[in-house]
Amino acid sequence: MKNKSIITSILIAILTLTVLSQSCAPSKMIAQKSGAQLWGENCIRCHNLPSPTDFNDVQWATIGLHMEDRASLTETEAEKIIDFMKSAN
Amino acid sequence: MRTTTLIFIFLLGYAASFAQDSTQAQLDAMKNDIASLRKPENSHFMIRGFAQFGMDASSDNVEFNMTSFNPVILWRQGDKFLFESELEMEYMSNQFSLNLGYAAMSYKVTKGLTIKVGKLLLPFGAFGEKLHPSWVNRMSEAPLGLGHDNGMLPMADLGVEIRGGIQLGKSKLCYSLYVVNGPRIKDGTMGQTEAGQLTWENANDNNKNKAIGTRISLLPLSNSSLEIGLSGYYARPGNELSPYANDSTNMDLNYKDVTALLTAIDLSFVRKIDAIKGVVDIKAQYNTTNVSDAVYLNPDDTNRHTNRYTFANNSTSYYAQLAYRPSMLENKFLKNIELTGRYSIYNTPEGSLWESKQTQFSFGVNYWFSWRTVLKIGYQSTDGAPMDMSSMSSMSSNSTMSTVNRFQIHLAMGL
Repeated sequence: MKNKSIITSILIAILTLTVLSQSCAPSKMIAQKSGAQLWGENCIRCHNLPSPTDFNDVQWATIGLHMEDRASLTETEAEKIIDFMKSAN
Repeated sequence: MRTTTLIFIFLLGYAASFAQDSTQAQLDAMKNDIASLRKPENSHFMIRGFAQFGMDASSDNVEFNMTSFNPVILWRQGDKFLFESELEMEYMSNQFSLNLGYAAMSYKVTKGLTIKVGKLLLPFGAFGEKLHPSWVNRMSEAPLGLGHDNGMLPMADLGVEIRGGIQLGKSKLCYSLYVVNGPRIKDGTMGQTEAGQLTWENANDNNKNKAIGTRISLLPLSNSSLEIGLSGYYARPGNELSPYANDSTNMDLNYKDVTALLTAIDLSFVRKIDAIKGVVDIKAQYNTTNVSDAVYLNPDDTNRHTNRYTFANNSTSYYAQLAYRPSMLENKFLKNIELTGRYSIYNTPEGSLWESKQTQFSFGVNYWFSWRTVLKIGYQSTDGAPMDMSSMSSMSSNSTMSTVNRFQIHLAMGL
C-alpha cells in the first residue's frame, strides 16, 4: 500500500510538472543562447566536447536525434547544437 | 596584312572570352539544377559504439583483457524516427559472448515528448543509461552494484517509454516514464544461495503484471552544469504459481505477492572553472532495492526443523566520483591529463545466503588523445570482494571474502 502511494505521488508529480512547464516560457537569456554555447554546456555533462569536423552534416543529423533522446535535450537545444555542428565542420 | 592578322586574333580572343563566360554560366546553372534535385538524406544508417582493451594486474595474476567492444547501430528515418541498438561483445574466460544491450525504436511525437518501444536502456539513475560507455566512464569499471553482471538495478528491459526535456524558465526538466516486463525473483529452486535475488532483462514475463519506473531530473542552473535526478521503480517479481506446486510439504511457499521497490538519487555537476584552469566533474548516485519479506527454503540447512528462513531483503549501493582536467592550461600534454577518484559501496541483505558488504576505492590518471579516446591508468582496492571476481553474482556468506587490489591500464575509444 505504501509502495503504491509512492508511485502515485511520483505520477502526480510528473503530471503537475508537465502542466506547469507549459506555462513556463524560456527566459530571454535562454532563448538567446547560441548553438556553440549550448554545445559547450550540454555535451560536457557526460563526455568531452565533440569535434564538429569528425562527422558530416548527415551524420550530425542522426547523432543529433540520438543525443536529443539520450540527453533529454529540448528540441530547441538539439536544433541549435546540430546547426552549429553542421556550420563548423 | 599584319594589322589584319592582329585584329583577327583580337576578335578571336574576345569571342573566346564570351564563350568561356557562357560555359561557366552553363556550369553554374547545371550545379544549381543538381543541387535542386538532391533531396535531403531522409534515411541514414551509421555504426558507432565503443571499445576498451587493457591489462589488470593483482598480486597473483596479470592479464590482458577486452572489457568491452560494443557496436552501436543508429538508423534514422526522417526527422522523427530513430532505431538504435547496442551489441555487447565480451571475450572472457576463453568464451566469446554476444548480448543485446538494447534495441529500441523511437518516435519524436512533439516538442518534449518522445515515445520508445523495444528493449530499452532504462534511465534508472544516471550511470546505467548515460555514463556506462567505456569512453564516457572516467574509470575502467562500473561502480559496485551497477555493472551488468552483478547489478542490483535494472539496466535494460522490454517495454515502452515516454521521455523528453522541457525548459522551465531558466531551469530544465527531464522526465522518463516506462512500463517493462520487470524482474523475476530467484526462489532458490535453481540455486539456493541466491534465493531472494532479482534477475533482470527477462524476454519472457513470468506473470501478468508489469513493472513501472520513472526518472525525473532537474537542471536548476541556466548553464545546465548541475543535474539532480530521482528514480523510482515498482514491480511484482514472483510467479503466479508456487515453485513448489507439486511438493505438498512446501506448496504454501509462494512469491506472487512479493513486491520490489527501487529508488535512486543521482547528482552531476560539471563546470569549467577559470580559477583552477580546468573542468571539474562530480558524479554521485545512491540506490536502494527493497523486496518485501518472503520465506525461502534451504534444503541443506540441517540445523533447522523446517529448513526455512527469511531476511530483510534490502540492498543499497552508492558511489561518489570526482574528476579534474586542467583543460585551460596552455601546455599540450598537461591539458589532456585528467585526475580521477571514486568511492563505492555495495551492501546485500543481512541474513541472506548472498550477504556481503563491499567497499571500493579507485583512483587514477587519464590521458585524453582526443575527445573520445582515453588511456586510463588506475589503482583499485575492493574490500569484501569474493576471491573470484567473476562469480560476484553467485556469492554467498560462505564465500571467501578478501581485499582485492588491482592495477589497471585500459585504452578506451568511442567509435
